[in-house]
Amino acid sequence: MSRKIVVDPIPRIEGHLRIEAKLGADNTIEDAFSTGTMWRGIELILKGRDPRDAWAFAERICGVCTTVHALASVRCVEDALGIEIPPNARIIRNLMNATQQTQDHLVHFYHLHALDWVDVVSALKADPKETSRIARTLSSWPKSSPGYFNDLQQRLVGFVESGQLGIFSNGYWGHSAYRLPPEVNLLAVAHYLEALSFQKEIVKIHTVFGGKNPHPNYLVGGMACAIDPDRDTAINIETLSRVKRIIDETIAFIEQVYIPDLIAIAGYYKDWLYGGGLGNYLCYGDFPEKSLDDPSSLLWPRGAILDKDLSTIHDVDPRDMNQVTEEVSHSWYSYANGDDKGLHPWEGETSPNYTGPKPPFEHLDHDEKYSWLKTPRWNNHPMEVGPLARVLLQYAKSDPMITDTVNMVLGKLDVGVEALYSTLGRTAARGIECLQTAQFMRHFYNQLIDNIRTGDYRTANTELWEPSDWPKDAKGFGYTEAPRGALGHWIHIREEKIEDYQIVVPSTWNASPRDAEGKVGAYESALRGTPMADPEKPLEILRTVHSFDPCLACASHVFDMNGDEITSVKIV
Amino acid sequence: MPRINVIGLGNVLFGDEGFGVEAVRRLEKQCAVRGDDILFVDGGTQGIYLLDYIESADALLVFDAIIPREYDRQVYVYRNDELPAFIYRKMSSHQMGLSELLSVARLHGRVPSELVLIGIPPDNLDMGSPLSERAEKLMPEALDAGCRQLRAWIDRQQEETAR
Repeated sequence: MSRKIVVDPIPRIEGHLRIEAKLGADNTIEDAFSTGTMWRGIELILKGRDPRDAWAFAERICGVCTTVHALASVRCVEDALGIEIPPNARIIRNLMNATQQTQDHLVHFYHLHALDWVDVVSALKADPKETSRIARTLSSWPKSSPGYFNDLQQRLVGFVESGQLGIFSNGYWGHSAYRLPPEVNLLAVAHYLEALSFQKEIVKIHTVFGGKNPHPNYLVGGMACAIDPDRDTAINIETLSRVKRIIDETIAFIEQVYIPDLIAIAGYYKDWLYGGGLGNYLCYGDFPEKSLDDPSSLLWPRGAILDKDLSTIHDVDPRDMNQVTEEVSHSWYSYANGDDKGLHPWEGETSPNYTGPKPPFEHLDHDEKYSWLKTPRWNNHPMEVGPLARVLLQYAKSDPMITDTVNMVLGKLDVGVEALYSTLGRTAARGIECLQTAQFMRHFYNQLIDNIRTGDYRTANTELWEPSDWPKDAKGFGYTEAPRGALGHWIHIREEKIEDYQIVVPSTWNASPRDAEGKVGAYESALRGTPMADPEKPLEILRTVHSFDPCLACASHVFDMNGDEITSVKIV
Repeated sequence: MPRINVIGLGNVLFGDEGFGVEAVRRLEKQCAVRGDDILFVDGGTQGIYLLDYIESADALLVFDAIIPREYDRQVYVYRNDELPAFIYRKMSSHQMGLSELLSVARLHGRVPSELVLIGIPPDNLDMGSPLSERAEKLMPEALDAGCRQLRAWIDRQQEETAR
């Protein structure tokens, strides 16, 4: 007998995502459907505006990834207008981007994803002495005394007894799919709290270079900050030494806390290798050492992998009108010339056409349109984007920086490369990548110091600031690898105004519905074949969906004023 | 010196959703109360990324669009213990609201000792629209309440310093 399970919305993510899974007789997922349940329409807000202002609107699309949208936006305007930014601006953007990646991955792992593997309530039963012993075998991190863990456990007891679980409410505590002993759970909860405290420090780098946080300033043509080693009001020796200290502390935290935790937790789950999914991976690349126009200068490479074949790396050109396309056969939009034909973002259309039932609804017809997300494809293939895609691409290219860390983690877990094609592999890739981006922070910091030493203080190129100097008609493409994957902004500027703007965000790739040919998206694929211990408590679905770090806010926006919303799990 | 943080929450792309952010922008310009220890923050919908601004404050003033229990078109002011019941709203990163932020701060042992929320019920949440007429009408009263609160905190600081 086939049963159906609906999780709506998936908790602990931004925005609204509904997952419907069909279960076989043994409670294994036979098929899954991913639905974005809120409309997105940022493209329409941007029409007619001054392209120089677009970043300030784009960064508000999302409550999580402000700076990546700002970055992709200034890059697409600069690309359209042919503006070259000075070296300091390139370096500072790279440094801020690496900072964002690092902080975001850390927050994702501890705050959003760890609780899919870690049972908070079990930590109350732990022996703090044993937790201390385990902590000291894993790492030289100083906060590891029995007293430290005992104190934390007492605070946790008080917290739970107060009845206000707050951040820990709605968990599936006690679920049989949790495997960590209480002592490791306590260790992970301790680091959960340390990570939440520590992440506040990392992002202070954005305040230094972006003037403020959480919405740092960007500028078409460069960065808005002034550099002068001798002036108090500019970025000077003192501010730079503060940045250096933050970078050193960040690398230490990731090396001594995040990576050891990842290995310790994964060790208990290493036979839970579900959730691999498509096996197709796409990267636009990022962190230019020279120019964005020169993919060979990108520290994170560009390319695609199909069907897990690491021996062939396919070239990717997001400007090619046939490569990156979006169709809407199963999405609540309509295209003037047919919903099944994929359109390149430069010819993209945003015309909502809701044909689903009136919400709240129980049933969606998956043969028809069933999501507010469009259906992006690369050369007609559904693709996974994000940390796993980036790590695999670098691994395929034998980049020593990533290969060493990958081999170290795989070696400690005593598993092969094929283990990466899983939910756990995606989670491990994020941690591995986080160490790399923290090292990028140091790399770009050193580059910045070297460049300032040459006497170059320039941070912006304002030669083409005035619209009267622009071409009458121009198209541009701006890209970045956001923490959750490849992000592209495509702009069409006409008569000094935005004529069209299209954004294809990472979560649209990963959470994509089926296409006209019936090919499923990354979440849908990854969920197939996963056994559920208890369909009433779909922890396994959360695990796999969270491993992608979904962020549906930019894929679709929501203003959810009524907080007593509880995820409903329905078994039909 | 005790530190005062003023945070505006919400998304300016969606009409009255952006009330909190807009209120803090205007308060910073208009309110004559000044002190080195007042920090005005455009918090947007940044959820967990605002933790530092919560934990670093001795006194925290928050502006936000809210859904009160009884929905009247008026300015609502909630203090300290009155707050948790009124801050349902999820922001993000991912789906973390002020109440969760405060619970994290509590676990860290760093809750501001003074907490005030000033809010109005939203009228129009359409994408791309400015603040509604009704929100604009309530704005002066909200700013006035905020400014008076800041003055009270500053005065008390000065008294304590003088003592």
